[in-house]
Amino acid sequence: MTVPDLVPDATHDIERPPEPKFTKWLRWIVLIALVLPLMWSAAGLEISPSRIWKAPGQILTLLGGMFPPDWTGTPKTLELILESLYVAWIGTIIGATLSFPLAFLAATNVAPRWITLPVRSFLSAIRAFPELVLAIMFIPAFGLGPFAGTLAIGLHSIGTLGKLSSEVIEGVDDGPIEAIKASGGTFFQQMRFGVVPQALPTIVAYWLYRFEINIRASAVLGVIGAGGVGAEIVGRLRFRGDWPKAGAVLILTVLTVLLIDTASSSIRRRIITGHSSASRPAKWMSALLGAGKPPSTDLIET
Amino acid sequence: MIEFVDASVVYPNGFRALDKVTLTIEDGEFVVVVGLSGAGKSTLLRAVNGLVPIVEGSVKVNGQEVVGASAAELRELRSGVGMIFQTFNLVMRATVLNNALMGRLSKVPRWRSLLGMWPADDKELALQALERVGIVEKSYQRASNLSGGQQQRVGIARALAQEPSVILADEPVASLDPVTSHMVMRDLQRINRDLNITTLINLHFLDLARQYGKRLIGLRDGKLVYDGDIADVDDSIFRDIYGRAITPDDLLEGAEA
Amino acid sequence: MTAPQDSLTPAAMGTIQRPEPPIQVSKLAVPLVAAIAGFAVAGLSGSQPVAWGLLIGAATAAFLYWQNLARSPALLVATVVAGIASLSIFDAILESRTTVIEWTLSARASLGWVLFGLVVGFAFSWASRPALPIQGVIARSIATSVAFGLASFLALQAGSSIGYIPALRGREIDAGAIQDLGTAFYVQGSAIIGGIGLSAAIALRVRNGALFAGAASLTMTLVAVNQIDFSIRELLRSFTRIGELADQFWPPDWAWPKTIGQPEAVHIFEPFVETLQIAVIGATIGCILAVPIAFSASRPTAPNYATYWFAKSFMNVVRTIPDLFWGILFATAVGFGSPFAGALAMVMFSLSIMAKLLSETVDSIDLGPLEAAKSSGSRHWQMVQYSAYPQVAPNYIAYALYIFELNIRASVVIGIVGAGGIGRLLDERRNFFQWDQVMAIVMVIFAAVILIEVFSIWIRKKIV
Repeated sequence: MTVPDLVPDATHDIERPPEPKFTKWLRWIVLIALVLPLMWSAAGLEISPSRIWKAPGQILTLLGGMFPPDWTGTPKTLELILESLYVAWIGTIIGATLSFPLAFLAATNVAPRWITLPVRSFLSAIRAFPELVLAIMFIPAFGLGPFAGTLAIGLHSIGTLGKLSSEVIEGVDDGPIEAIKASGGTFFQQMRFGVVPQALPTIVAYWLYRFEINIRASAVLGVIGAGGVGAEIVGRLRFRGDWPKAGAVLILTVLTVLLIDTASSSIRRRIITGHSSASRPAKWMSALLGAGKPPSTDLIET
Repeated sequence: MIEFVDASVVYPNGFRALDKVTLTIEDGEFVVVVGLSGAGKSTLLRAVNGLVPIVEGSVKVNGQEVVGASAAELRELRSGVGMIFQTFNLVMRATVLNNALMGRLSKVPRWRSLLGMWPADDKELALQALERVGIVEKSYQRASNLSGGQQQRVGIARALAQEPSVILADEPVASLDPVTSHMVMRDLQRINRDLNITTLINLHFLDLARQYGKRLIGLRDGKLVYDGDIADVDDSIFRDIYGRAITPDDLLEGAEA
Repeated sequence: MTAPQDSLTPAAMGTIQRPEPPIQVSKLAVPLVAAIAGFAVAGLSGSQPVAWGLLIGAATAAFLYWQNLARSPALLVATVVAGIASLSIFDAILESRTTVIEWTLSARASLGWVLFGLVVGFAFSWASRPALPIQGVIARSIATSVAFGLASFLALQAGSSIGYIPALRGREIDAGAIQDLGTAFYVQGSAIIGGIGLSAAIALRVRNGALFAGAASLTMTLVAVNQIDFSIRELLRSFTRIGELADQFWPPDWAWPKTIGQPEAVHIFEPFVETLQIAVIGATIGCILAVPIAFSASRPTAPNYATYWFAKSFMNVVRTIPDLFWGILFATAVGFGSPFAGALAMVMFSLSIMAKLLSETVDSIDLGPLEAAKSSGSRHWQMVQYSAYPQVAPNYIAYALYIFELNIRASVVIGIVGAGGIGRLLDERRNFFQWDQVMAIVMVIFAAVILIEVFSIWIRKKIV
């Protein structure tokens, strides 16, 4: 192809800048940084092409084995799903009520540094434990059953909700607080009328979001005997090989979660009307990540 | 050559934005479109490259029918029609060169664009387009680092890189200050003269239209109400198009004052 | 010094009418509690459905009249009649029980309350009529009846566990015993159903869900606390055992690999590296596969409606399945104890999160550059790559690092169901009740999670 000359000679006197070296190499650096760990991991886990090749067939066999699902155990399954919901609900209530005051103590625009620092460390420490690990540690103390699971979910929720709520509090407009201070309001009045009205809708939306996540977490806890539907799935698949029944349990669980997700997200959107789209997790994440603050990392973890 | 025959555009919400417009634009013409906002100026431009739903009539660009064209035909047609936007529509996080290279997307094979391995010829064309608008020294900077006028010139370069036979400019200076407005208008005028590219420009400001236009098209409520030499246009014709007397807001110099 | 109050607006006084204050939700709280108390009192006559229905209908009608929500005699009478009719139906269905009140019976019996809710919803919304079209009245009536129905279902279902319906044991069921309904059932059940149902009707009338949310949350909490035997007393009592438990957990046993007769020093390290590898594969592959799905699941970048719908549904379904279930599924499919299953599970886990986050980010991009690409004749996916992707690239990288963090935590967990990694070790030690060894593993997990989080935050700060 011949390149037709778009430019008359006169404008050629501006020199073209050289292509920056770094961007030229960036693509290769990124590629290597991705491929090397991937190869190391694949080698370590003995994942060979033949295994990958076989996997879809094996998964289809499993799915085929689950169909048609066996619905005979439905009442029992629904009861277990309900138990998972209860565990998630109480866990969320524990998390919400205890994280609310802690969030004020962890917010730098409200509390002094010598308080925020230890509170924040405490919150991130309890966040570091997955619910399941917490539940494993609680079982010897509280016995098998939903009690240990509820506490594990509650404790983990304190960590995540505390962090998120404190970020919401840090993001409120200082104007109203100053106005209340100027008209002689006490500290609690400043919080009650200056901070809470601004922050509460978003915080409540986070509570609902946490409830959605906790449902997944509590569904899982049954696996270690901490109540809920998880034991049913793992038992049927792993120990009894009863695939059609496991299929039914799985479908019922997915439908329940889907139903609650839909209801909850529409309530969340309604709570935050005014800035309605802000109820979407990705926007919160982007806002938090873009603000240059340490990004909020606990929004969608399961 | 662009030919409209009884072309009407109706949006999905039922709004009739263009109503039985018939007009012909010869190769190399420099045409200015004026009208109130909502009169169908943007729709007229977007009918040329098939970005809006044309429900009846016919629009032909260089003999290719827009109405009922297949996706591939439409892509082919669009690749020969450059477009410049009021809000520049640059990818702000990408470099100036990459923005200009977007004009070449329709010409490179899929795998090359996927891997970002541009043929040297296409890169050369994009750089030349940037040279023509005098912004080549910013090639490797992010578009977001440029001023408004510079960004619009990148937008022009992107259209030029397509090697188009037609350029559509949708309110190209509405987001710019008066000085840069004139610079951008002069760029467009020069491109039209030097490269003989048919140019269709929507303008809001009447004095800019008078100063740079040759032929003027007036739209009102989606209908063609004036089509003729700009030299013949007097205040009564403007009043016809706008449905009211001219105010300082309709003039670039007036708005500035 | 006190300034005369009216001096601020001397001339205007009286000329502009003060607006009528809207119905305040908080003002309705006390009447609502009174009405619920009325429902509870009505429950005392629960065994006679006609009297019960009469009282409940009367309590509702009194609330309507008192709060000036409905004062037409026809509506008030209709409410009372509906109470009698509905609760007669409710009672008749419940009487047909053979042993325990299981969920199908609960659902059928709740139809009685659904009927009542329909009339109550109608009475609540009738007065807003000229402003509210008749479809609105019907919609609100149906919504109210759903609230009453669900509340009734919940009250019946939770009854035996909360204790107001005596639970039957297996032997009693075999002997054909029938669950009794005592006064406690009628009193507590009425209160729960009345609380949820009436607050729903109020919420629809004043367009504010606060009271309903409060009533529903409170009920849900009470039911849940009973269902799972959650008690603060038990919690406090367990704290007294902490000393004894701490002895089992502390000090962590770092030396145990030697005791089970296998080569030492590999036992924590090796499975831990395995966990790390599972996380790397899951995050990398999952995040890459999520890209086309995310762009397909967002309106401006979806190639066509069918793809959009399919990608969106796929995304929503995949997201409902918890990480551990993926682990079980893949372990069943490709073999228990295999880290390959763990890697597959983490791919699905990462994919579901990334697709969701990314597609929502794509929803909010600037559409201008897309139009520019389209107008230059580019193909669909070229447009996506060159106009849409650069706008979300920083978010994508930040999400990817964050997902890697989540993967570390999640891949610890999936080992417990036989998908490899350190979780397998944790599960094994737990099953031997070796709590000091569990503690050692937990401490390693804790350190690793914190370390990777700090590292990831540091990189994110550099990039964004």
